Amino acid sequence: MRLKLVLPVVLTLLVQRTLGMPGVPPWTAEILLPVVWIVAAALLQKERNWPYEALLLGLAWDVMFEPVIGPGGIAWSAAGLALYALAGVVADRSPKAWAGFGLVGAAMIILVHSAALVPLGLPLSLSLGHWLRSVVFTAGWCGLVGAVLVLDLPGQWQNYRARKLR
Amino acid sequence: MTVSRPPALLTILLWIILEAIAAWQVRTPEGAPLLVTWVRAIVRPVAWSAQQIGHLTKDIALGTTNLEKVIVDNRSLRLEVERLTARNLILEEDLAALRDATSLLEGSLGYSDGAVIARCTFRDLAAGSMEVRTASVVYLPRDTPAITGGGLVGRVVRSEGTRHWLQLITHGAAAAAVQTSDGRVRGLVVGTGDDTLAVAYVPRQAMLEKGAVLLTSGGDGIFPPGITAATVVRVRETNDPFLEIGAAPTADLRSTRIVLLLPLWSANGGGERE
Repeated sequence: MRLKLVLPVVLTLLVQRTLGMPGVPPWTAEILLPVVWIVAAALLQKERNWPYEALLLGLAWDVMFEPVIGPGGIAWSAAGLALYALAGVVADRSPKAWAGFGLVGAAMIILVHSAALVPLGLPLSLSLGHWLRSVVFTAGWCGLVGAVLVLDLPGQWQNYRARKLR
Repeated sequence: MTVSRPPALLTILLWIILEAIAAWQVRTPEGAPLLVTWVRAIVRPVAWSAQQIGHLTKDIALGTTNLEKVIVDNRSLRLEVERLTARNLILEEDLAALRDATSLLEGSLGYSDGAVIARCTFRDLAAGSMEVRTASVVYLPRDTPAITGGGLVGRVVRSEGTRHWLQLITHGAAAAAVQTSDGRVRGLVVGTGDDTLAVAYVPRQAMLEKGAVLLTSGGDGIFPPGITAATVVRVRETNDPFLEIGAAPTADLRSTRIVLLLPLWSANGGGERE
């Protein structure tokens, strides 16, 4: 990730924080919004060191959401590595690929995070329902982002502005 | 765009560090960081192994030291065994000598009154001499007869304290009057300077055969009569008026351990005290 992406990432984490606030539907907290960044890094292949930056993202996740700092870094970097490997064998870059990568990323993050918590003796909150919902919602979120990118809304907006100004 | 392969080892190392950081934040029920427990769990076997290695090294060193002691002890014991073996041989020799002495005393009851038992400490058969020792200081007159279980040995030529020197019957200057057991043939046994004897002054007509045993006759005034002295081994007639007779001492001078010295025997007394 470039430094210019730090602010959007922080914003993503803040939005993630707001999704867990009281009054917001509980299922929204099960969406892992920052997953879209490691999916984008894998599919767009614009970053070379994103496994380590995914680690930083995971540490930031831990700082904001977890009782201990560390397992998130492991989980997110593991997911980054998995997506890195997956992007090497999957040529599809369509919204479906975004959704699929999001699914894999979210599944990896939750599983590895839980595995990293096991040696610490901390109680696990992993359940099949939570895992499935989180994976599905995150996949949907990533697919949505992929679809938006395909639609190229900024370009269309610029075209619209250009036509209107003529 | 080239995508570099992330270094797996570095990533795994980072994961381990992160897990350790997380463990540092988690507290055990005792309040200590979980990481400390992990470190203890890792260090304890290592420390235990090091301790066991230390014990093993100490045991090996102790075993080596003990082995050296065992080797030294073994050498000492071997020396002790050799010493005891030598002492055993000496004791066996003493026992055999004691038996010889007992047998000698029983076999010479006629002369045993005042007899002195002496032990052979040195003999030179070529020189015809023998050194014997008594248990206590005793003065033995010159020419005191010396006998053994086998027969006549010789006479005392010098006495000094517990040491006494004998002239063996085989000495070139030694002589003893002898006769056959029936008393018909008489002669003079003389030493030849080696381990054989010669019998002189036996007339040609004497009935003497090979294998005949000659006893002292007492005619020389030195040796008491009736002691076996020699066995005839060779009889030869010559032009001389006397037979040429070879004989061998009946006493085994080579293996004599004990001799009986008869200081109180006197030819005049006929075996009684002087």
